[in-house]
Amino acid sequence: MTDRRAARLGVIAALVVAGAQLVVGAAWSLGHDDPTELELTRRCLEREKGLQVEGVADDPIAASASGGSLRTIVEGGAVTISVGTSAAEVARLRARYEAGHPGPRLDVRGRYVTLWLRDPSRGQRQATYDCAY
Amino acid sequence: MPRFRLLVGGVIALEGVLLAWNAWHYDWLRGYDAFANHLYADVVANDHRLPSASESGVWHTPPLWFALAGGLERMTSGLGWGHPQRPAQLLAAAAGLAVCVLAFLLARELWPERRGLQLVALVLTAASPALVRASAMYHPETLAVALAVGGLLVAVRGLRRRATVLTGLGAGALLGLASLTRGWALPVLVAVALVLALEGWRRRTWGPTLALVAVAAVCVGPWLANQQLAHGHPLAFNRKAPSTALLERRPASFYLGPRSLAVFERPVTPRFRNELVPQLYADWWGDWALTWDSPPPPPPWELLPDRVLSARIRQSLVGILPTVLALAGLLALALVAASRRSSAIGVLPLTALAVAIAFAIFAVRFPSTDGDTLKATYLLVGLVPAAVGAGFVVDVLRPPGRMSALVVGAMLVALAAVQAPFLIL
Repeated sequence: MTDRRAARLGVIAALVVAGAQLVVGAAWSLGHDDPTELELTRRCLEREKGLQVEGVADDPIAASASGGSLRTIVEGGAVTISVGTSAAEVARLRARYEAGHPGPRLDVRGRYVTLWLRDPSRGQRQATYDCAY
Repeated sequence: MPRFRLLVGGVIALEGVLLAWNAWHYDWLRGYDAFANHLYADVVANDHRLPSASESGVWHTPPLWFALAGGLERMTSGLGWGHPQRPAQLLAAAAGLAVCVLAFLLARELWPERRGLQLVALVLTAASPALVRASAMYHPETLAVALAVGGLLVAVRGLRRRATVLTGLGAGALLGLASLTRGWALPVLVAVALVLALEGWRRRTWGPTLALVAVAAVCVGPWLANQQLAHGHPLAFNRKAPSTALLERRPASFYLGPRSLAVFERPVTPRFRNELVPQLYADWWGDWALTWDSPPPPPPWELLPDRVLSARIRQSLVGILPTVLALAGLLALALVAASRRSSAIGVLPLTALAVAIAFAIFAVRFPSTDGDTLKATYLLVGLVPAAVGAGFVVDVLRPPGRMSALVVGAMLVALAAVQAPFLIL
């Protein structure tokens, strides 16, 4: 066998192996969606905290969050939770909310931008922290 | 020829500066098992004995590097230097540089007339992120790789000409010392012994094989015997293997790597944790466990800085072509070795295969929930055979002429340049 033929066969075999791995990855990603952070948060609030969770229709800032948003009521306090996917986006969401001078009602922690309808208690905040992923 | 020597010398000099710079600037505690390594070195250097399982979490690692690191620490502490771990990091950097030089020498030994092959092998080794990262750590990995590749080079030289007892003694000593540094050198020792034995059987000369086995046994035998007596297994590890059947210890996702495409989206922990191929790929080309130039892994809800993620995604993209070439190269070398009945060439893919099998058995035998038994640096012993193989494929398949040589050269420069922001601390 010539060197050139061996090299060609090697390249073909390597491409087949790499291609097979990509096919496995593509097939998986087409058939399965790993839950998003928002989905995990929703499940946690519903299953572990026993809360009722709904989507956000009347808050354009929350609706613009690329990680999604949800609304629920924790110990009588309504809260809107938005999920950013980059530090720049989180900063943008925070800036837009801060234009309305929310004070302590706005809570930004990592990728989560949380706006409470009224000033939250420590226990209310903790409930949302517990469901952050 | 002088121009080529200058080029090779330039690459090696640049790599030396890079590795020394990184070792100097890398926080020694960020490296794998750094504090446990320090405790081990301390016991060896000060008490002149091996640590117990309660004294260091890496008691299962052979002691050679720890003796050297501990000695260096004592020396620098005696001189009043405030960074006692730094000399051991510089030792790792020197060993990393030696690996690059040995890759070049190995390629030159096998194909002295193919300078393009030699250069590709050198650059692919030098620009390998796994090697660069390991060379900055307070860790024995690069020393073991340098010794093992040194042993491989001695064996290949012997096999190319005619293996003598001296070949066996030299290769056995280097591979034995490598195995006394990291267990990952043992598969190389086995592969080289096997090839020397086959060659001996063909030529009816057993001297080289016996010399290799005897010297290696003198070097590493006492350590393996100690592990058997003290811990019940010559290859004891710092956790017990589950009692379930071997193939039931890992889920199907471990073998299939279903989240492989995520290496181009978010190639850091905890994504595709414990999925063999994507985790190893992301860790080899990037920094899956976030131990390099980033803040430590944040709590799950925190965001990683954008630059950390984008650098690692870029690394994943950069790694596609060299990875395919490396795989192609190992297969091509195996085919060439088989068709020419060349044991000198065949020992390279066999070494890579032996390391891969040993790693796979280890990873399946000791599953971990946090994925810490899947580290790319464990496979560094296979880097040089893969780089030489990739060099072979590139040099054989490129069209003859000056233009294609320039294109290959430009691609090597691009490979280094694109990675520079990640590789330079």
